Amino acid sequence: MMKFIFADLRRFWSGALAVVVLIALSVALSVTVTLQERAVRLGSARAAEKFDLLVGAAGSETQLALSAVFLQPAPLPLMEGAVLGRLANDPRVELAAPVGFGDSAYGFPIVGTTTNLISALSPSLAQGAHFARLGEAVVGSDVALSPGAQIKPMHGTAEAGGETHTAIAYKVTGRMAPTGTAWDRAILVPIRAVWQLHGMHGEEHHDHESGEAQSHGAEPRDHSHEHEHGHLDADAPLDEHFDAQSPGVPAILVKPKTVADAYRLRQEYRTGATLGVFPAEVLTRLYATLGDARSLLLAIALGTQAIVIAAIVLVTIMHVGSRWRQIGALRALGTPVRSIIALVWGELFLLFVAGIASGVALGYAAASAISARLTASTAIRLPVDFAPDDLWLAIGFLAVAAFVSIVPALAALRSSPAAALRA
Amino acid sequence: MLALDVSDLQMHFPGLAAPVLAIERFHLPAGGQLAITGASGSGKSTFVNAITGLENVTQGKISWNGMDITRLSSGRRDAFRARNIGLVMQDFHLFPGLSAFDNVVLPVRLARRLTVEERERALALLSATGINRVGQKIETLSRGEMQRVAVARALLQRPGVIVADEPTASLDRHAGNEVAELLLRLSAEQGTTLVVVTHDAFLAERLGRRICLESGRVDEDSGESAAQ
Ligand SMILES: Nc1ncnc2c1ncn2[C@@H]1O[C@H](COP(=O)(O)OP(=O)(O)OP(=O)(O)O)[C@@H](O)[C@H]1O
Ligand SMILES: [Mg+2]
Repeated sequence: MMKFIFADLRRFWSGALAVVVLIALSVALSVTVTLQERAVRLGSARAAEKFDLLVGAAGSETQLALSAVFLQPAPLPLMEGAVLGRLANDPRVELAAPVGFGDSAYGFPIVGTTTNLISALSPSLAQGAHFARLGEAVVGSDVALSPGAQIKPMHGTAEAGGETHTAIAYKVTGRMAPTGTAWDRAILVPIRAVWQLHGMHGEEHHDHESGEAQSHGAEPRDHSHEHEHGHLDADAPLDEHFDAQSPGVPAILVKPKTVADAYRLRQEYRTGATLGVFPAEVLTRLYATLGDARSLLLAIALGTQAIVIAAIVLVTIMHVGSRWRQIGALRALGTPVRSIIALVWGELFLLFVAGIASGVALGYAAASAISARLTASTAIRLPVDFAPDDLWLAIGFLAVAAFVSIVPALAALRSSPAAALRA
Repeated sequence: MLALDVSDLQMHFPGLAAPVLAIERFHLPAGGQLAITGASGSGKSTFVNAITGLENVTQGKISWNGMDITRLSSGRRDAFRARNIGLVMQDFHLFPGLSAFDNVVLPVRLARRLTVEERERALALLSATGINRVGQKIETLSRGEMQRVAVARALLQRPGVIVADEPTASLDRHAGNEVAELLLRLSAEQGTTLVVVTHDAFLAERLGRRICLESGRVDEDSGESAAQ
């Protein structure tokens, strides 16, 4: 039986291959769309999961969330230093860490923050120790620098023509464990180092703190004034106490003690000059927009599937048409009907299964490749995984294939063997 | 061995007013050897398709050893043919991609497991038909060899009757004679009833009885007196 099927497939191998490729490609398309959409959704949700509440200066919520969670360089307005002091001392807050952007090194963003946030991201370091002096740094797991390495910060990003700060070279003291977030690509330094490097001292900068947008992002700005004055003592001990006199920061990551506290805090900081957001909520809103793109893609995928099913039917009709005589001969030789059905159906079904299986593999490979590229550039781990739903999709495909391939087998048996032989 | 009885057989095809075949009474005893001749279009193929159950018969009776095959369902008729009738057709209907041996045993294999006895019989039949390389792919054989493989296939399940529709028509004289020789020898050896449609006067001469069809009727019957 199998010998017969394989002999037949070998004879029509190019057609068989075309059928398999056709089905594989369309299945791969829908598998890729499904898997990739899920990977982006889960991956970024996981990346945002460690950031319960974000407080920033009034402005765009999306911008705030993207900058702080995914470390996208963008000009963010600063808020008063007093906000940080207030949050740090709020009894409902477990952790309030400033996030200061602006510099980069070797293409990795340098983020000014506190050791508390590092502990929150990576409870134990993979290598080395936390920074303890102003001139020290802890790197994310994807930053290719070992403890002891020197980091010369550059204002803005290299592509934006940033200039190198000469006042300091950070020394790497430790490395975080992988977190699967964009922070794996970050270089974390004491927030005070960032402030001092940019010449920001609480009292001197009241004008800035009153809400004037200060770009610490991609936009090249003339900060030479601050650079000249921005000298700092790299050996100065760490000071992580903030009060009303602290300089301004673009964002504060807040870990509230309870869910109720989270909602209350967000409400409180949504008034006036500040903005409180749940990054997860912002992301959900973004997905709603992305969802439209996804349904478009899925509609395209469905369209290709419809075309492929049509192609399958055509292939099947031609397959049986060209075998009409063969089927007639088999019947003339007394082959039982069940064997003929099994032959015709088995051969087509084999092709369909091969196509569907390689399509799933191809789709998985494509989604993995896309995820790997995205991870390489954003450090956000995008998990490509099958879900139980996918099983139903596959079963659906197989059911359609099984049904479509049995029809011609039945059709071939309706005429007499003599008529089939004459065909 | 099977005896054939046909009575009141009429075969009609759509679009044709006159019946293509009209045979009131025909008898072929078990083990008999029959040649069917006649002009092209006289109904020879229609006749053998009817008696082998390849074509549906709506009028008349066709009995093999008393079993009326016109009353069987098409599935049972296929099964009857598999058990009792060995077919040899003008264009062989062998299956490319399979070896000579696999072609001989294919009908059995598609129905059930091949027994050791059948396997040996297949090899014996192939060697009797002069096919020595049984593993050779069928499409690489000469046409004469192909028809000999088809003869071996027809004989594998020890059918009670062998029906051949122009088995030598697509072969040259030499290969045709070989196949004719083989059919006669093997069916005589097994005592099988043999029905051969042929234009080949030489082959027809060597069969015990000859009928000539004309417009679907038996025009001449060399053995009619003998049979009665
Ligand atoms: N399926 C069919 N539909 C209509 N007419 C048919 C059909 N099959 C056969 N015929 C007609 O029946 C007649 C007998 O055909 P048949 O094939 O039995 O002739 P034959 O004696 O075998 O001829 P040949 O020697 O050329 O093979 C022909 O006139 C043919 O046109
Ligand atoms: Mg004919």
